[in-house]
Amino acid sequence: MQPFVGLPRFDTGKPVVGLWKPVTGMLGAAALALAGGLAVTAPAQAANTITLGAAVQLTGSLANTGRYYRDAYNLAIDQINAKGGVTVAGTKYQLALKILDSQSDVNLGVRQYVQLLTQDKVNFLLGPFSSNDAMDDSSVAEKYQVPMIQGGGASGQIYARGYKYIFGTLPAAGDYFASTIKMMMTLKPAPKTVALIAANDSFDVSVAKGTRELLKKAGLKIVVDEQYPESSSDFSSLLSLTKSKHPDVILWSGHETEALNFIRQAKSLNVNPHLLYSFTVGVPTADFRKALGADANYAFGMTPWLPSPGLKDAWFGDAAQFATLYQTKFGYAPDYHAASAVADVEAFVRAIEAAGSVNPQKVRDAIAKVNFDSLYGHIKFGANGQIVMPQTVIQVQNGELVKVYGTKFYAKPAYPLPPWSKR
Amino acid sequence: MKIRIIFIVVVVLALLAGVPWYGSASIVQFGIDALLTATLAQGWNLIGGYAGYPSFGNSVFYGLGTYGTAIAMAQFGLPFWAGLVVGGILAVLCALLLGIPILRLRGPYFAIATLGLAAAMGAVIANLGIAGRNNGLILPLFRGDALFYELALGLLALTTLMIYLVSESRFGAGLIAIRENEDAAAVMGVNTTLYKVMALALSGFVSALAGGIHAYWITFIDPGSAFDATLNVKMVIMAVFGGPGTVLGPIIGAFLLSAISEVLAAKISTVAGLFFGGVIVLAVVFMPKGLIDVGYGVRRLGLSYFVQNIRQNRL
Repeated sequence: MQPFVGLPRFDTGKPVVGLWKPVTGMLGAAALALAGGLAVTAPAQAANTITLGAAVQLTGSLANTGRYYRDAYNLAIDQINAKGGVTVAGTKYQLALKILDSQSDVNLGVRQYVQLLTQDKVNFLLGPFSSNDAMDDSSVAEKYQVPMIQGGGASGQIYARGYKYIFGTLPAAGDYFASTIKMMMTLKPAPKTVALIAANDSFDVSVAKGTRELLKKAGLKIVVDEQYPESSSDFSSLLSLTKSKHPDVILWSGHETEALNFIRQAKSLNVNPHLLYSFTVGVPTADFRKALGADANYAFGMTPWLPSPGLKDAWFGDAAQFATLYQTKFGYAPDYHAASAVADVEAFVRAIEAAGSVNPQKVRDAIAKVNFDSLYGHIKFGANGQIVMPQTVIQVQNGELVKVYGTKFYAKPAYPLPPWSKR
Repeated sequence: MKIRIIFIVVVVLALLAGVPWYGSASIVQFGIDALLTATLAQGWNLIGGYAGYPSFGNSVFYGLGTYGTAIAMAQFGLPFWAGLVVGGILAVLCALLLGIPILRLRGPYFAIATLGLAAAMGAVIANLGIAGRNNGLILPLFRGDALFYELALGLLALTTLMIYLVSESRFGAGLIAIRENEDAAAVMGVNTTLYKVMALALSGFVSALAGGIHAYWITFIDPGSAFDATLNVKMVIMAVFGGPGTVLGPIIGAFLLSAISEVLAAKISTVAGLFFGGVIVLAVVFMPKGLIDVGYGVRRLGLSYFVQNIRQNRL
């Protein structure tokens, strides 16, 4: 019986004592490797430069969204420098960016943020993508008392810890469906019953929790309230349950691949809410419409940002001009992640100018007070550090993305939802 | 001779312990991670290296330690040390409960049985209200990375001392006997079930303490990060790279591989994963018995040691 063939074979006597000699030398070598492994010299700080640092997922599983942050940070900093940089108490400063690749590894990201602060001596921190990364990385900002503005995590947990140095430009997860519910209440026929389906990760649980309260306030009855495990691919039992309860509305919160599976399986099982369904993800992206084809029609969704010329910006002109510039420079269209990332850089510029200093504490206090219009929207942070921003309701109509409702109707919604057999 | 060894160990330990004073903050961060991973590799060494049972489920114990500490601190407001105790107890209980049935399986069957453990435990935790379900738990923020570093170093030193004492003891000889030929060991009077379960419990205990330290240091945990399946692979690779079934091999493997991976990540981030994989493939081809074996293999045979390794494996 040889349980593990690759192992060294020793006699059962005293196998290990003889190993000490070669081994101690190696341990010393390993210790040196440990100490020397990270000894990268810090770049010399040019005079009159303010450096922003971030560890973003440039490779690994989250790289597809991580690239928005890298590209948007770079574009924002180039644009701001081209327009004269930052004026601190009468002196002109240029912005610089130090970006590290966290390889979609949370532990590596945390280490890199410490490195940015202690070795690379960056002045302030920008965030990574995703709520879980922002959770851990913002602890570094808080430990070192250097402000971080992040546009990649929307979970309420990030702001529920009483931290002072973390600010965020993604609106609260709990309010994602607020504008959708407001719109629903003005539609005829008015919906009465709702099925609420959400994934069980931090962000989607926050969405469900907030939506439950909003629905209660609106006087709607929740007939299905279900959680499904993250990255499920089979929704048949959830769909059968939903079918048996005949809801007017399905409000769905999860991830894009799951949304695609949910809609495909809803079609094959012929499950249809009477009036409308809405999804927290997918609808704004072109991939979603391409993957589903005609089946994407009628799906409602939301976005905190659309590249409309109505959003004026001091550096880019407006959101539409920003979107064109971004598209030509990087070859793909920006979405709200990119806009939110630009807003993070701009918020730092405003705060540094208002503080008249690069002192982290002073800038932190100034960030808490910023109040300006950007290509992303109006930037003002709540007491907990998170932005308050309404979502715009959007819908896929005839394969096109249509902006439907914000504080008023922009376009007529395709409503009510026809059954699958009549589409 | 013996005095010289003790002297070298003390000097190396003192050098490592001083890192927070003369090293930079990012080296301390790297050190905490490397030391905790080395502890995990050492924990695996006991069951995988000495007893010859290649467990791919040791991250269960790490996760339980993480959650034991987090639940005690975040839900009950207990101090950190109490959290560590809770995590350690959970892991030992789990090892006893799991070990008795699955340690009856041998070879690849045992490895397969342990593969699913981490995912299963993650799913259990994701449905427990007290563990914050799938949302994770937030621990209080503590500004003292030097302390975490020293704790991790202390844990690794104690674990290594334990492995050394085990290797010198009747218990250790029994484990090696089980690895070499379990039936023969049983005939010789080794209580194989007891020995194996004890090895797994000890291995689980140190892994849990490593998890507890990591939880308090990183301040936020969720089932995905606590029961990360890649951690299993990592600790096995590190132990095998250094030399399984030896006292210092897994530490050397863990330090070297962590350093290589860190340098690669910093220098050539996009293809770092590829190069890291390459290093591991080369290591397995040229030194399947670990770095430690290279140490005196080369002394004995010179460079033909590597050729011999390749021949032995019929590559």
